[in-house]
Amino acid sequence: MENKKILIIEDDLTLRNVLAEFLEAEGFKVGVASDGEEGLEMIKSFNPDIVLLDIILPKKNGFEVLKEVRNYKEKLTTPFVLLTNLGSLDDIEKALELGATTYLVKGDYQVKEIVEKIKEILFKEKK
Amino acid sequence: MNWIVNDLNIKKQAENLGVSIWQTPSFMLMILGFIIVFVMSAVFFASREFMSPEFLIIAEAVVVIFILIVGNIIIQSMEKLAKVNKIKSEFVSIVSHQLKTPLTGISWDIEFLISKHSDGLNKKQTEIIKNIEASNVAMSRMVNDLLDVARIDQNNFFTRKDEIDIVALVKKVVDKNNVLTLKNKINITLLVDDNMPKIEGDEKRMEVVLDNFISNAIKYNKENGKITVKVQKDNRKALISIKDSGIGIPKDEQDRVFEKFYRSKVASIQETGGTGLGLYIAKNIIERSGGKVWFRSVENEGTEFNFSLPII
Repeated sequence: MENKKILIIEDDLTLRNVLAEFLEAEGFKVGVASDGEEGLEMIKSFNPDIVLLDIILPKKNGFEVLKEVRNYKEKLTTPFVLLTNLGSLDDIEKALELGATTYLVKGDYQVKEIVEKIKEILFKEKK
Repeated sequence: MNWIVNDLNIKKQAENLGVSIWQTPSFMLMILGFIIVFVMSAVFFASREFMSPEFLIIAEAVVVIFILIVGNIIIQSMEKLAKVNKIKSEFVSIVSHQLKTPLTGISWDIEFLISKHSDGLNKKQTEIIKNIEASNVAMSRMVNDLLDVARIDQNNFFTRKDEIDIVALVKKVVDKNNVLTLKNKINITLLVDDNMPKIEGDEKRMEVVLDNFISNAIKYNKENGKITVKVQKDNRKALISIKDSGIGIPKDEQDRVFEKFYRSKVASIQETGGTGLGLYIAKNIIERSGGKVWFRSVENEGTEFNFSLPII
């Protein structure tokens, strides 16, 4: 688990910091990006094992990030977890069609629950 | 008069209006064209025998103008309706983001403070933080309820498919209501089938459903009242029942219980805090998860809510 890298693409400073601290406390290596463009650069340079992606982001939104990643990676092997406060059928279906692994409505979860979900996904991927 | 459509690009129209292609004005215009051709031919074949050519032309013209006017009115009003719906759903989406982000911030920061930085906080300070947390939970719940209702109305409501340990979830919700249970001196009994299989549904939303039924059973109970919560397996379904010894629902109000914003008169006297959305949302979540909900109630004796959910 110590070597697993997690990238958080989230524009809200509070949410980004809290999530990063909880994940670091679990021994993950955490990278952060505050907009879609920075996020795309970090996906290339940081090479994360899992990406936590917000949808409403400056410069490029979460949907655009997913589209671009699909363009340069034939098959999306890195799990993308949509971490959003949008939660309508349209938004979720669009994200899943674009290759997101799953989505979590931020406001519905405590941070520790999100950490557990991330571990579940990483563990499954490993197997 | 604003003539039927300005832009004939169907795909662009569908995107702008947020509707499917066959609901776009351009598509409906095409249908209108077919209708005109069809009706014109019908008029022609039906009346050429006994009408002079001059009359036939006038008849065709009248029919075509009539169809065009009526068609135009229908298409325009449908376009207007689609625009209003689009604006509504965009508004819901904005509210959902703009309200929920700060609420999430408060909630996560409180969790951060309590779980990682609580050294040095005295008892009073911890209590105050817990109060802030409770208010924030209440506010988030309200925002979520309103958003759920808006999405149910727009048919834009999404539920996850989680594997749920229903027994653990029921226990969690009962524990969460512990303060209220003690305050109202209620005795809750939990009866659970052994080896209950997991069920499929949206875990967070199912928690809301259970919380609605259980907190209602507490709030609308009598002092020293009883609640029995049962979780049973029945064929390929899980049956959950919440039975209270409370004020009950008057007979003449029973068929309105699941209506949006409806609150029973006796309920409003006992508890002022409700919105009348809880059971409406609960019914929708249960039905969207493939289950059913029903109840029995006798005024002054109590109510038993039952619902079923599919087992994995």
